[in-house]
Amino acid sequence: MFLRLLIESFRRQRRRKILAGIAILLGTTAVTAMLALATTIGDRIQDELAVYGANIVVTPAAEQLDVQVGGIDVRPDSGGATLKESDLKKLRGIFWANNITGVSPQLPVHILGTTSEGETLDVAATGLWFRHSLSNGGPAIVTGAPALHPLWKLTGEWPKETSPTANSADAVIGSALATSKGIHTGDTIQLTPSPQNPGALHSLHVTGIVATGDTVDNQILLPLSTAQSIAGTPDAVKRVEVSARTKPEDSFARKDPDSLSAKQKEIWYCRPYANSIAYQIREAIPGARAEQIRRVEQSQGTVLSRISGLMWLISAAAMLAAAFAVSAAMATAILERQVEIGLMRSLGASKTSIALLFYTESGLLAFITGAIGYIIGSGVAAWVGIKIFGASATPALTDILNPVLLPVIVSLSLLIAIAGSTPAIRRALSMEPSSILRTGA
Amino acid sequence: MIMMVKENLAMINPNDLTRPDCAVISLKEVTRDYSGHAGKVCALNAASFSIVAGEWVAITGPSGSGKSTLVNMIGCLDRPTQGALMIDGVDVASMSATDLDRFRADKIGFIFQQFHLIPYLSALENVMLAQYFHSMTDEKEARAALERVGLGNRADHLPSELSGGEQQRVCVARALINNPPILLADEPTGNLDEANQKIVAGLLKDLHAQGHTIVMVTHDPEMASLAQRRIALSHGKVFCHPVGGAIVPIR
Repeated sequence: MFLRLLIESFRRQRRRKILAGIAILLGTTAVTAMLALATTIGDRIQDELAVYGANIVVTPAAEQLDVQVGGIDVRPDSGGATLKESDLKKLRGIFWANNITGVSPQLPVHILGTTSEGETLDVAATGLWFRHSLSNGGPAIVTGAPALHPLWKLTGEWPKETSPTANSADAVIGSALATSKGIHTGDTIQLTPSPQNPGALHSLHVTGIVATGDTVDNQILLPLSTAQSIAGTPDAVKRVEVSARTKPEDSFARKDPDSLSAKQKEIWYCRPYANSIAYQIREAIPGARAEQIRRVEQSQGTVLSRISGLMWLISAAAMLAAAFAVSAAMATAILERQVEIGLMRSLGASKTSIALLFYTESGLLAFITGAIGYIIGSGVAAWVGIKIFGASATPALTDILNPVLLPVIVSLSLLIAIAGSTPAIRRALSMEPSSILRTGA
Repeated sequence: MIMMVKENLAMINPNDLTRPDCAVISLKEVTRDYSGHAGKVCALNAASFSIVAGEWVAITGPSGSGKSTLVNMIGCLDRPTQGALMIDGVDVASMSATDLDRFRADKIGFIFQQFHLIPYLSALENVMLAQYFHSMTDEKEARAALERVGLGNRADHLPSELSGGEQQRVCVARALINNPPILLADEPTGNLDEANQKIVAGLLKDLHAQGHTIVMVTHDPEMASLAQRRIALSHGKVFCHPVGGAIVPIR
């Protein structure tokens, strides 16, 4: 009988149910879209902000000053402390290894040589990874300087890594240097033998010209192994830029982990703050000092908190509007069934059993429309994501539908329906059945 | 059973009708006040009377005389502000709302002037609805109840497919399905033509003959004359009118 009453209610009050359903559908679609965007926006913004470079820099702990003038390391090539390139694979073994999206070690060297047109060169160069596979035995990431500097504009090709014992190596020339010295892609730079370059490497083959908009425009970029060979310091790196997906910085992130209790420290350690990832890098790489680059982190945190705030506001407004719409639709639907309620009461139905019938109706409606709202909202989120952030390919269905959101959205939908129906149900149940039956027919 | 009822009634002196010992319904000094914008309104003023098991009582009176309030009290849809209301030996005034719902399902069968059948349920389902809110549905019993009112062949029809008299008979079947000791009929023939009035009146006569206690609100003198006793109301006051006797104020 309960089922019969339920089915008939949907059949007979189709219009009211559709109105209430549309209200819930719109609310849940908006909330799903907002939540789906909010859960992925951190990563997306991280990707967007990745163009501004790394968010963690690793230097040798023994090197107290990272002496750069106009972006050029002015310390002697072979001087000072260095990190081991072979230690960098340990980055793939830290707790938040999967959050590390890019690693770019650097080794500054000095180049003396002659261009194809006979121009003398006495310039700074940096050894870098361009397309390096970094693995600690598990899954590898392919990374390098270009990945951390998406705004660098290359004409030509990035250098290929060659054997340190080869006579010639690839190099990319900064655009300003290339212009001033008349160097073109395909040119060869003859190196002048020096105490640091005892003779194995004779020339550099220019594979491309890079425009960076900063001091790198006046440098030569080499494969790291080539720079190590020139500097005579195998396995050495001076500085490592790390790009990691991080949680926006909050006051807890800024705590000194060593001053926290063991439990608090564990919580701090297990949150992907830039600080805690830097802490884990320090633990993993002996003699390393890892620090977050605060400016990037702060912009990310500010942007994320503002966007999240806006999204919560829109979600709350959508839910409130849906609840009001459901309330209005249910009020009319219940008003139309006053006589039915009065009759049921006279037949001995308790207020609870009648309320249960109406709440089940709303709940069922909420469940169905919530599930549809989840699907549509996920689609909207994917579409908005593509429109705002762009995407190289159409995302897979599994990427669009976040299963974690389904119970959340259905619960919210139930909450909207129950909250919206309650005033109408309460009002109907508070009416005297006798007066309904005498006047309501 | 019929004989027993008649003997009971024969033994009752009109002046003894406030005696609760043989009553299925007993009101003692029952008052119902309502508070409104215009202040307190006394809808029923210290009403005292009893109805014995198997009795057929007509409640009459002009609009605003307190008939609805009295019916609501007897139907356990409302509770007195003051006084004691005993139904089948239980003081309903002190019952909780939940207990009152249960009690109503067990003890009262309602017959409405406007039938109040659920339009989207068949005659059979309308009867089964009363079973559902009482205990559990039993289609066989519900069909038997419809047979009893002569609607065995219309069980699967919707109310809109039935005449007014037939709808009222479905309403009677619904009122009877849980075997309540009291039938509360509110203007049972008020919406019917003469032919159907006769059918329903006949049905009520049969039910009374079978020993049912019937409390009937009516404006129709002909219907009122079928009852054994008339309780007249005026301005919230109750007057007892035994069949064939003079108006005797209870107080």
